[in-house]
Amino acid sequence: MQRLIWILWPSFVVAGVAEAVFFTLVDPQELYLFGEAVHYSRLATYSIGFFAFWAVCAASSAFTCFLQGTVASGKS
Amino acid sequence: MAQPAPRPEPSGAKVIPIREASLYEAHKKIYARSVTGTFATWRWAMVWFTQAIFYGLCWLEWNGRQAVLFDIVERKFYIFGLVFWPQDVFYLAILLIISALALFLFTAVAGRLFCGYACPQTVYTEIFMWVEKRFEGDRVARMKLDAAPWSAGKFARKAGKHAVWALIALWTGFTFVGYFTPIETLAGAVLSWQLGPWETFWIFFYAFATWGNAGFMREQVCKYMCPYARFQGVMFDPDTLIVTYDAERGEPRGARAKKLDHKAAGKGDCVDCGICVQVCPTGIDIRNGLQYECIGCSACIDACDQVMDKMAYPRGLIRYSTEHALAEHWGGRQIVRHILRPRTLVYGAVLTAIVVAAAAGLTLRQPLKVDVLRDRATLAREVEGGLVENVYRLQVMNLAEQPRRFVLAVTGLQGIRIANEQIVEVPAAATQSVSVRVRVEPDAGKRGANPIHFEVRAVNHDEVFVREKASFLLP
Repeated sequence: MQRLIWILWPSFVVAGVAEAVFFTLVDPQELYLFGEAVHYSRLATYSIGFFAFWAVCAASSAFTCFLQGTVASGKS
Repeated sequence: MAQPAPRPEPSGAKVIPIREASLYEAHKKIYARSVTGTFATWRWAMVWFTQAIFYGLCWLEWNGRQAVLFDIVERKFYIFGLVFWPQDVFYLAILLIISALALFLFTAVAGRLFCGYACPQTVYTEIFMWVEKRFEGDRVARMKLDAAPWSAGKFARKAGKHAVWALIALWTGFTFVGYFTPIETLAGAVLSWQLGPWETFWIFFYAFATWGNAGFMREQVCKYMCPYARFQGVMFDPDTLIVTYDAERGEPRGARAKKLDHKAAGKGDCVDCGICVQVCPTGIDIRNGLQYECIGCSACIDACDQVMDKMAYPRGLIRYSTEHALAEHWGGRQIVRHILRPRTLVYGAVLTAIVVAAAAGLTLRQPLKVDVLRDRATLAREVEGGLVENVYRLQVMNLAEQPRRFVLAVTGLQGIRIANEQIVEVPAAATQSVSVRVRVEPDAGKRGANPIHFEVRAVNHDEVFVREKASFLLP
């Protein structure tokens, strides 16, 4: 549980910041996905974007957590 | 926080396997006792103040639109008379700097004022605890209820509490989303069951977060999740006002009869009733000194003052004081005098300078922006009369809330002029893209790129004027 919070919470905060910065600078209607213009509504793109950021950040946190765990218990 | 892994022993030495144990003890539910008093009144005043703003501001109208609306779909932020475009991200950065500096200043002066009185986590916890008390009673009643086996009565109390919590949470989620999509449209969509999938999702997401954070997580958010709690230490100094237990006056603590002359009996003023611990929303004992869990809510001050009144001892065994004041036995006036010290003066000066600069920038801001793009298809072409023509695309952004007409002009080369319509009409707070053909005699400049300027001026508003650089290619 505690590990889950360590992974999900910081990534949530960083994803929020990344989302704000990215979509301030980039208009979602000007994005291209697999070579085609994004046709979702802006709200959908923002939401999907947020979860994508969150997932990427969570993956990074999880990796850090995993490496830490390996070091702490692996020295025997 | 995890401790760094211990260094491995040098090879050859006997190695003891180390198992890392959890550094957190199992979470114990905190049953905070409700409290009344000066600071509780202040806390409630702040609850009303902040929530009146949060729940109310989104319903205000201004110029026939929502007064405060972060319209992410249209990519425009409205704050009363101001309209911010993505190009104004600079002001967002300034706002963040101002917030950070204000936090530094307030923390240096009086500790975690924000946490104790204005943080949404504290405010919603306060509201949710009020509801909880209505349904389940105060501390002891709640502890009994939780320990009791399930019965119809217990179920009714719990269900009632959760129903009211859910209502508050959903209203909060609805209000939150109402700052990003116009709230009246949103309300209409809710009433006619035609809410879009993403609006529905975010209302429930935010409602769930409110319900979870204010109903269950409570002090754990402050203790384990809030970064501010971890670095507050660097913002404190010995002159910072913090909630302090006067150990010199209080110790040795202990129970005593009210009539006893406790000083003669060698006892301090603390009667060790434990009420300061019972009222603490984070469950700490302030008598152990300043701890990172303390959110500075002052509930223990109110509680202790009431006990002191009952014992007919002077108030303030627990009070706002500073490390220096406690050590040097300073009075209120000396504490106030030490509020002005280099640290707070520097924070204050920088804060004032940035606020003034930002305000000036906003006031002097041109309600017009122009972007010039060269037409990529044609670099330069020869047209009738031997003139050379370059084509540009001008994005004229009218930041004002009225439709406006603008006159386009171009300068920089002998005889340079615009060959097409020179008046452009832009609706209120909108962008108009116009194609502009610029012509000049072939010998008006050097070969290659020549600097020119587009000048855009509002009709009947001469002060609304923008000059934008571009380059003109001559073959």
